[in-house]
Amino acid sequence: MTETPINKTLLRVRDLHVAYGKIAALHGVDLDVAEGETVALIGANGAGKSTILRAISGLLKPSRGGIHWDGREIAGLPAEKVVAGGIAHCPEERHVWPAMTVRENLMLGAFLTSSKHRVEERVGMAFHRFPRLRERYKQMAGTLSGGEQQMLAIARALMSEPRLLLLDEPSLGLSPKMADEVFDVVREINGHGVTVLVVEQNVHNALAVASRAYVVETGAISTEADSATLLEDPEVLNAYLGA
Amino acid sequence: MDMLFQFIANGLVSGSFYALSALGLTLIFGLMRVVNFAHGELYMLGGVMGWLTTTVLGLNFFAGLALTILVMGAFGWLADRFLIERVRDQGEEPSILLTIGLSIFLTNTALLLVGTAPLNVEGPLPNKPVFLGPVVLTELRLFAVAACAALILAAHLVIRYTRLGRAMRATFQDAMAARLAGINTARVYASTFALGTILAASAGMLLGSIYSTHVSAGGLVSLKAFVVVILGGMGSFAGAIVGGLILGVAEALWGGYISTGTVDIIGFLIVILTLIFKPYGLFSTQVERA
Repeated sequence: MTETPINKTLLRVRDLHVAYGKIAALHGVDLDVAEGETVALIGANGAGKSTILRAISGLLKPSRGGIHWDGREIAGLPAEKVVAGGIAHCPEERHVWPAMTVRENLMLGAFLTSSKHRVEERVGMAFHRFPRLRERYKQMAGTLSGGEQQMLAIARALMSEPRLLLLDEPSLGLSPKMADEVFDVVREINGHGVTVLVVEQNVHNALAVASRAYVVETGAISTEADSATLLEDPEVLNAYLGA
Repeated sequence: MDMLFQFIANGLVSGSFYALSALGLTLIFGLMRVVNFAHGELYMLGGVMGWLTTTVLGLNFFAGLALTILVMGAFGWLADRFLIERVRDQGEEPSILLTIGLSIFLTNTALLLVGTAPLNVEGPLPNKPVFLGPVVLTELRLFAVAACAALILAAHLVIRYTRLGRAMRATFQDAMAARLAGINTARVYASTFALGTILAASAGMLLGSIYSTHVSAGGLVSLKAFVVVILGGMGSFAGAIVGGLILGVAEALWGGYISTGTVDIIGFLIVILTLIFKPYGLFSTQVERA
C-alpha cells in the first residue's frame, strides 16, 4: 500500500510512432502524465509536438506503440471514443465553428452529453469562467477576436468535462497580455483538478504554467526535466530550442 | 392576360419540384463538397420505386412514399459508406468521376430491369380540376406542391434544430473540430448523402404521380438541378428554393409565349446569364472555411 504513489499515472505513452504517408513524424515517443499535473511539450517548430497530441486524441492513427489511458489502451481509437473517455483536445489555431454562435459552439462541445440539463449547467459554468463569452453569446464565433476565439476553444473543449485537456499552442497569435490571460485560465482549470498537457512554442510561457516539461526534438523526446531546472539552465534551453 | 396567371401557376408547380430535387444536390455539395452527377438517377429511382409500390404492389400513395423514403435513404447511406467514402478529401475530380460512373450504372441497370416503358405512379387524389380565380390546377398538383413544401420544411427543421443537423453544420464548417467534439463525421456524411437522396427520390415519385416517369429521366433532371444550384448559389438552401421557382416560371412563360419545343433552352440561358452577372449565384454562401 505504501508504494502507491499519491498521483497515479493517468496517461502513459510508449514507443509512439506516427507517419504522414511514408514520412515518419514521430519515432518512439515515451511520456507520462500523472493525475493533476500540468506538463508541457516544448521544442522547435516541426519537431512533432502537435503530432503527439493528435495521436493521443485519435485524429491520427499511430503506426506503432501504445497510448495507455486510465487503465486501458486507446492507441488507434477514433476521436469520438477518445473524447468519450475523458480526453479533450483543443487544437492549434482554435478551429471554432465560424458561422455558429458562441453558445452553439459551446453546446456542441458537449455533443456526447445527452442530458440537456447538464449541457445547460456546463454552458453556465463556461460563462462564469469566461465572462467575456457571456457578453457575446449570440455573436458568430468567426467575428470574435483571436483571444476570444482561444477562450471559446478552451471553453468548448471543457464542455465534455475532460479529465485530461490537450492544449495546442494556446498563445499563438495573441498579444502578450491576452496570452497571460489564457495561461491564468489554464492554471485555474488545473486548479480544479483537470490534468493538462500543453504544447507551446513560447518556452517561458510553457514553463511558467507547467511543473514539468518534455523537450521534443525531430520526432522523439530528447529531455525531460522540471520547469524550475530548465528555467535555471538556459544552456539546456539554448541547446535544445535555440531559444 | 388570363393565360399569364395560368402560366405562372404552372411554372410554380414545376418549380417546386425543381426546388426539391435541387435541394438534395445543393445539400450534398454544400456539406460534403461532392458534385453529385448521379443526382438525377436518384430522382429516377424515386419514380421507379413509386411505380413499383403503388402500381405494381398496389400500395396506397403514402405507404409507397414512406417505403420509397426508407429504401432510398438506405441506398444513399450505403452509397456513401461504400463508394463516396473512398474518394473523401481527395478533391472534387475523383468524386465527379465516381458519380458519373454511378449514374451510368444506375440508368443501365434500371433499363435492364424495368425497361423503357413509361411508368405510372398512382397519386393519392384524382386529377380533378380546381379553379382559383383565373387559374385552373388539379387537386393532385396542389397536393404535390404542398408535399414538396412540407418536405423542404422538414429538411430545414432537421438541419436547423436536431442533433444530427447541428452535427452536419459543425462538420461542414470545421470537420476536425467536429471530430474532436465527439461527432462521428463518417456517419454525418452518410446521413447527409441519405438525406439528399431522399429529397431527390421523393421529388421523382411526386412528379411521377402527375406526369409518368421513365428510367432515362435522370439526365435532364440532373441538368436542371445544376441550373437551379448555379442560379441560387452552390450550397444555399434558400437559393435552391428561389432558383427552382424562377426556373419553373421562366420555362412555363417561354413554353406559353414562345415555343414549347425549345423550353429546355431556358436552363442554359439562365446558367450563362448567372455566370456572367452573378457568378456565385443569387444567394451565395461564402462561408469561411478554416
